[in-house]
Amino acid sequence: MKSTSLKVAALSVGLLLLAGCTAGGSNGSGNGGGSTEILKIGQIGDVSSWDPAQAHVGHALMPYQVVYDSLLRREPDGTLVPMLATDWAYDDSRTVLTVDLRDDVTFSDGTPFNAEAVKVNLDHFKGANGRQAVQLTQYQSTTVVDDDTVQITLAQPDPAMEYYLSQAAGLMASPAAIADGSLETTPVGSGPYVFDTANSVRDSQAVFTAREGYWSPDLQKFSGVELRNLEELSARVNAILSGQVDFTTLDAKSAAQAERAKLALIPDYQVDWTGTSILDRGGQIVPALADVRVRQAMNYAVDRETLLQELQLGYGTATSQVFGPDSSAYVPDLEDRYPYDPAKAKQLLAEAGYADGFDLTLPVISAFSTQVTAIAQQLGDVGIRVTQETVPGPDYVANIVQGRYPAFNFNLAQTETWVAINQLVSPTATFNPFDTTSPELEALLAKVQAGGADADAAAQDVNRYVTDNAWFLPLYRIDQIAAYDPTALTVQAQVQMAIPSIYNFAPAK
Amino acid sequence: MLMFTLRRLGAGVVLLIAITALTYTLLFFSSSSIARNILGEQATQDQIALKEAELGLDQPLPVRFFAWAQAAVRGDFGRSWFNGESVTDALVNRTPVTLTLMLVSIVLVAIVATALGVLAAVRRGWVDRVVQVGAVVGDAIPGFVLAIILVAVFAVQLAIFPAVSTIQPGAGAAAWIGSLTLPVIAIVLNYVTSSAQQIRSAVIKQLEQDYVRTLRSRGIGEGEIVLKHVLRSAAPAGLTVLSLQFIGLLGGVVILERVFAIPGLGALAVGATVRGDIPIVMGVVILTVLIVIVVNLLVDLANGALNPKVRLS
Repeated sequence: MKSTSLKVAALSVGLLLLAGCTAGGSNGSGNGGGSTEILKIGQIGDVSSWDPAQAHVGHALMPYQVVYDSLLRREPDGTLVPMLATDWAYDDSRTVLTVDLRDDVTFSDGTPFNAEAVKVNLDHFKGANGRQAVQLTQYQSTTVVDDDTVQITLAQPDPAMEYYLSQAAGLMASPAAIADGSLETTPVGSGPYVFDTANSVRDSQAVFTAREGYWSPDLQKFSGVELRNLEELSARVNAILSGQVDFTTLDAKSAAQAERAKLALIPDYQVDWTGTSILDRGGQIVPALADVRVRQAMNYAVDRETLLQELQLGYGTATSQVFGPDSSAYVPDLEDRYPYDPAKAKQLLAEAGYADGFDLTLPVISAFSTQVTAIAQQLGDVGIRVTQETVPGPDYVANIVQGRYPAFNFNLAQTETWVAINQLVSPTATFNPFDTTSPELEALLAKVQAGGADADAAAQDVNRYVTDNAWFLPLYRIDQIAAYDPTALTVQAQVQMAIPSIYNFAPAK
Repeated sequence: MLMFTLRRLGAGVVLLIAITALTYTLLFFSSSSIARNILGEQATQDQIALKEAELGLDQPLPVRFFAWAQAAVRGDFGRSWFNGESVTDALVNRTPVTLTLMLVSIVLVAIVATALGVLAAVRRGWVDRVVQVGAVVGDAIPGFVLAIILVAVFAVQLAIFPAVSTIQPGAGAAAWIGSLTLPVIAIVLNYVTSSAQQIRSAVIKQLEQDYVRTLRSRGIGEGEIVLKHVLRSAAPAGLTVLSLQFIGLLGGVVILERVFAIPGLGALAVGATVRGDIPIVMGVVILTVLIVIVVNLLVDLANGALNPKVRLS
């Protein structure tokens, strides 16, 4: 052992001399922006394509904001403010949105931003079959009224359309780049930073430098941005502890380690809820689930607070509703709709005729195996016998949306009301594979869709409906563990977005 | 020698064809949700059908395989289904990093293992016992555990090395050395003792041979006996275990590349396999088989050069 350590020590000393200069981390030079600071973020994955038609949400939206502007911009608290659009208004039918545009913006390749560019982008997004193609479901066409005015026509009213124009659908790329098909590998936008092709490596890092003469200097706070792709949690922990990145997302178990190292965590940052969605409300696979008392019993059978402490180390808030506090559908009273009460659960099951319980199969992937096991144990205590069936990770969602399982566990974002409804509640929702609906619910959904003064009240009624009818078994809202170096930067949470918008980061003073 | 080489290369081509066909078949049966994974969970059935037609996923297996093979023979390995990156570009960008990591590690393992093995064989006693115990311990500790400990101590606490790789285009030697030192140390610690064990056994066996006694009786020094004669005879055993370890490293670097965020082949392979990115997986498989064939051939030739007794004629 001595010989080995001697040799290793000798090697290390020799390498130390050479390696010493690398310990400081990378530093580039910016050619724009008011500061010389570079923003270094540890990402959990690279973008699949730099074409904004392929943009997604949360972690898979922020990178696009670095290089593309959107028509509208969403403030950290969710308010929509002008960006490339200066003003917008619906007509009475709420199917034609007239948008006024800035006339002083050019893309980084020199192409001017104008109404024609908006039309090209929206049509491109619609036809590209991207991951968020659903955002333009109601989009029919764009009419160029004049150089800085467009009219967007929808097939039906869409209360989330203005929101979508601040998200993936609203990102604006250079029409010239769209035409020559190079956007997949090289983004060209009007945004605060420009892509540095030479220093970027696919699935490893994306490097940007500040754009000279950017039209909104207030939004350009760094001289450059580096997005490091660090898929392994341990790599992200090490990178932020050693200062190679200044911001990254961790998990509950590494949060304490980060705090000990004097890193800061963004407080009160909740985006996802986690728990079970009881999909088979018609009882096609498991007849017992057709009875609302059975589903309610399942809700009473689970001790949310204990699971929160055990599985999430307390980083979250127990809840009985799937709509978040930032959406119009939130009802404070529903937070505690189903307190832990196994006796009541057994009673409800008996009333429904299942005093001896019933059998339930839940699909499992490694990310949720602990959670499913915990829930299975608690359901078992009231007589529900759960069988866990392992599913290959990549096939999980496919199996769910094809209706192969009566229920499933997932982390789902608590988004804008209409977006959440289309994801979970409406008859055509992604995660409503058995098309559960009722006339009462559809009437409420129609009111939400129509917008106007009644929409918020109707949204809350939708929430009450699905919660009272126990469509879901939510456990808790999860705290986003967003760690950053407070000596390097300040950052604000972005409501309903798993990672803050690029505009929320600023160098520490 | 020439016939031998040609025969081996011919066998290698057959191996290549067999393995690519087998791999493609296995991937074919796991490709049920690829289109949905590319498009996201909100994709409609129509969108998925369109995507599957675009990627050729609706065709039968032989048709798909021959289409891929025809292009591959021409050198066109296609593009990633997930990010459109050319497979050739991805391989060209990432192979040098992984190969550097592997070659530096195996060379260090060879040097250290030879030194340890010879010391253990010649000195016996406590050095020998330490090497034998070390072989068991070194094999038992998983490489990534060593890696994590090294990072925690040398990168995070002492800040001597970067915690995650700083290798990028245009990065100088300093970045490469800094980023690969800890992974190399992890690999060496993991592999060196079992190689040392093999070399020790081979050297001991050689030291018991008659020719060693003859050399000693002629007054030739122990050092010259060991280094000039015994080592050459013991070399095939050592080379064999080193070549096996090198090939094993092809898979073994995967976890290290993930922990250190090294932009290498292993990380690419894992990511592509999990997502079902068939063009990239096939590219990696071909490259791996080629590396294995070349390594085996080189080891056989080297064995022949070092030790006439194992030469083929």
